[in-house]
Amino acid sequence: MTPDTMAPPLRDDEAGPLRSGIDPMDEHASVDPALFEPPAGEPPFARTVLTTPLHLAVAAESRVNRWTRWNGFTVASVLTDLDDEYRALRGAATLADISPLAKYRIAGRDAHVYLDRLVTRDLGAFAVDSALHVHFCEEHGLVLADGLLFRLGDDEYRLVTEETHLAWLMDSAIGLRVRVEDVGDTLAAMSLQGPLAAFCLAEAGLAGIEHLAPMTGCWAAAAGMPVYVSRTGTSGDLGYEIWVDPDDAPHVWRYLTDVGAPFGLRASGFHLRELARLEAGFARAGRDYLGAFAAIDPAHARTPFELGAGHNIAFDKPFFNGRAALARLAAVPARRLVRLAVEGLEPARFTAVHANGRQVGIATTTGFSPALGQNIALATLDAGAPMAGLAVDAEIRDELALRRVSLPARVVGEPFWAPARRRAVPAPLTA
Amino acid sequence: MAWGGRKYDAIVIGGDLNGLAAAAYLGRAHQRVLVLEESAKLGGVAVTGEIMPDYSISTVAHLVEALPRGVERDLKLAKHGLRMAARDIPTVALDRDGKHFVVPRNRKDIAALAATQPRDAAAWRAFDKRMKAHAALLAPLLLADAVPDASNLRRLVWRAGWNRADRLGDLLHLLPQSIGDLLDAEFECPLLKGALALDAVLGGADGPYAPGTVLRLLHRMAMRGLGRGLSIPLGGLGALTDALAAAVAAQRGEIRTGARVMRLLVEDGAIAGVETSDGVAIAAPLVVSSVDPRLTMLGLLGAAHLETEEARRLDRTSRSGSVAKVNLALDGLPDFRGLAPALCGARLLVAPSLDVVDHAATDFGQRELSSEPVMEITIPSAVDPALAPAGHHVVSVLVPFMPHDLEGGWPARRDEFMQRVIKTIAQYAPDFPDRLIAGDVLTPPDIETRFGLPGGDWYRGGIRAADLAGPRGPATPVSGLWLCGPGRHPAESVTGLAGRDMAEAFAAERGHR
Repeated sequence: MTPDTMAPPLRDDEAGPLRSGIDPMDEHASVDPALFEPPAGEPPFARTVLTTPLHLAVAAESRVNRWTRWNGFTVASVLTDLDDEYRALRGAATLADISPLAKYRIAGRDAHVYLDRLVTRDLGAFAVDSALHVHFCEEHGLVLADGLLFRLGDDEYRLVTEETHLAWLMDSAIGLRVRVEDVGDTLAAMSLQGPLAAFCLAEAGLAGIEHLAPMTGCWAAAAGMPVYVSRTGTSGDLGYEIWVDPDDAPHVWRYLTDVGAPFGLRASGFHLRELARLEAGFARAGRDYLGAFAAIDPAHARTPFELGAGHNIAFDKPFFNGRAALARLAAVPARRLVRLAVEGLEPARFTAVHANGRQVGIATTTGFSPALGQNIALATLDAGAPMAGLAVDAEIRDELALRRVSLPARVVGEPFWAPARRRAVPAPLTA
Repeated sequence: MAWGGRKYDAIVIGGDLNGLAAAAYLGRAHQRVLVLEESAKLGGVAVTGEIMPDYSISTVAHLVEALPRGVERDLKLAKHGLRMAARDIPTVALDRDGKHFVVPRNRKDIAALAATQPRDAAAWRAFDKRMKAHAALLAPLLLADAVPDASNLRRLVWRAGWNRADRLGDLLHLLPQSIGDLLDAEFECPLLKGALALDAVLGGADGPYAPGTVLRLLHRMAMRGLGRGLSIPLGGLGALTDALAAAVAAQRGEIRTGARVMRLLVEDGAIAGVETSDGVAIAAPLVVSSVDPRLTMLGLLGAAHLETEEARRLDRTSRSGSVAKVNLALDGLPDFRGLAPALCGARLLVAPSLDVVDHAATDFGQRELSSEPVMEITIPSAVDPALAPAGHHVVSVLVPFMPHDLEGGWPARRDEFMQRVIKTIAQYAPDFPDRLIAGDVLTPPDIETRFGLPGGDWYRGGIRAADLAGPRGPATPVSGLWLCGPGRHPAESVTGLAGRDMAEAFAAERGHR
């Protein structure tokens, strides 16, 4: 509940013509939170419109009313203008609601054993208050999901994934003393990204935040509210993610936007998150690859090798899910997930990737990078496809006209956006 | 590697028939084997115990239904002391009015049946031939320790077509049927139908009118086809265990009782040995478990060494037994009215009609005691007088359709159950209650706790069509760990077949390498 909706609603007779208590002249659009409360007696899962704990706070920032769906939740696609938001992200900082991510708490005596079997990565040197990017596979070595694994305590972990995986996580707990809990509803999250991210947090009173190393986290207080801050994110730049109680989340959001606004901090939506992720070169489950259980045709599921995560497989671990299958697959030529840069200076639409007149792959996430001034994509190339001489069939719109052209594309090894400050310790406190 | 200075090639967990058979076969293949049995007594459900001093009886299983001739011969069980008190014993359908008859095995029996049931006797010949042919055809599929693959099935179809073109069609017509419907169509005599139906459904949870129960009968017939008919060993089923143990010892195998395995030791993804409850680690490159697959893999090995899918599959296999056992001591031979004295050593079936069997199954489904229990009775002392003092007898009763989770709980209803059993037998042998000296009841929960069998499912009669394609075979995903229990084998437990097949599969794999 946001502060300005905490006042008791006016009684009908007091409210006069404004029966709902909404003042249309109020610039800070106040929305009746009851709109988002499930009606009494509603069966579980009947509700298909899910909102995050930050919904009202984000809605108050929306100027263009562009919304989209992310993991079943209604989230802002664009809040003001994509280019403005992009400039804030790359030049100052942006704050985004990332609560729709699936979040699981994994705790218990066998939690480490459980996770060691679950993920392909070696968890031997996994310290408390650090995070790892992990992949987990089913028995044929196909990736179910990738996610961020936090170690919060000796026997307590948090797994954050793009899609929900509770059934698999519960099945994996069979025979082990471990508790798996979906904390999606009891944990809100926001992402503060950009060169001024550390500065904004420092301004907000999180002293010493610049000493937080990448892929680590710590407990802190924002305006007196406990928050867990981790130096993680998908923007490819300096950035933090803030994990907070859902009741506190709107207040933390307001506090951070108020503190950061004079320095250029802006709220941003899902569209910008996707664009930044593309520039940083991260694949997203459900978009760039399908989880093994989500793919109807098994040929559309991917192995970690195909996702470029071969280095994330610790074959020196004696056992983990899919180990035997992955050991066999290691020698098999695999598809490759690559970053494509497409020539031409205009935004274009394209999907298929060609070489020598034959389709050799498909671009799964495409976009126009304002920083590079060209179209970029994450694409999956078939096994044995050439790495050079690629082209994409693109559509370029000019008002009502449509041009179809074939644009040369090249595979880029490095992420499109990877400034050194993303790994710098201490993090820079100025742009 | 060493325990008391000795080294072992293989450790067998569980000294029941399958464990011992696996150990004996591995010994034959020149493996140095150690058998670890948790309880003080070998044999699992194939044991001889006492009801009271001087009255011995096969505690749980009471008949050798299908000991494969190959096993008997390979392990030289006769040389190791196995004698049969009676071989190929007949099955008698008990009638309340004393008009019992032998379920036909040969021409003579059919002639005897023809005296009272001419039409059924005529129908029997064709029925028996038809079912035996199907059983023989399906036997390789039903009894194999591996899931049939396409080539097995092709061979089956080819063979079926080779034998007779209409046979496959008939089989496909029969398989989904219920045994009750089939018998109703074939026979008239309720007693014959009841006895045949009980043969099919004994040990399972489904009644005679449940679809697919014809498959049960074929499975049972295929099992019996392996052996030389029903037999009772001299000294009870424990004698079979003793002979197998002697066969293990003859191959320089070692057997330790009272040795509980706490966990399996794994090194680099392969089995390295076991750790016993007294903390001793015994190393061996091969560990064979006759314990339930779920207990072995999730309990002893640990889910951390298994794929999630495998753990889930194991976790979802739950069986619960439906056969209770009653052991009784009598001060004389009960007088089953109308039963020829020569048939006292037979397998006596109390299943007056299909309806009674069906009611028992319905009561079972409602977690209730059968109002009219159906039974399989043997009087082993009639063929093996040494089991009881002179003139006295012991009676062994299997009571199917007894729920594991009885409404009201077994402790409170044990006496009621005993009374119902005795009352029912008294309808056939009126002097039975008066001759009773002592008795002992083993309910499915008792069998679960005393013999460590999950759900108390010792009879393994509940094969379903779905089990045919279920997980089967002795190999596990963990290198060096094999299963030889009935959990992954379609054979009933009192055969040792699972143990033999494990040893053969192991030898095949080793030869392959």
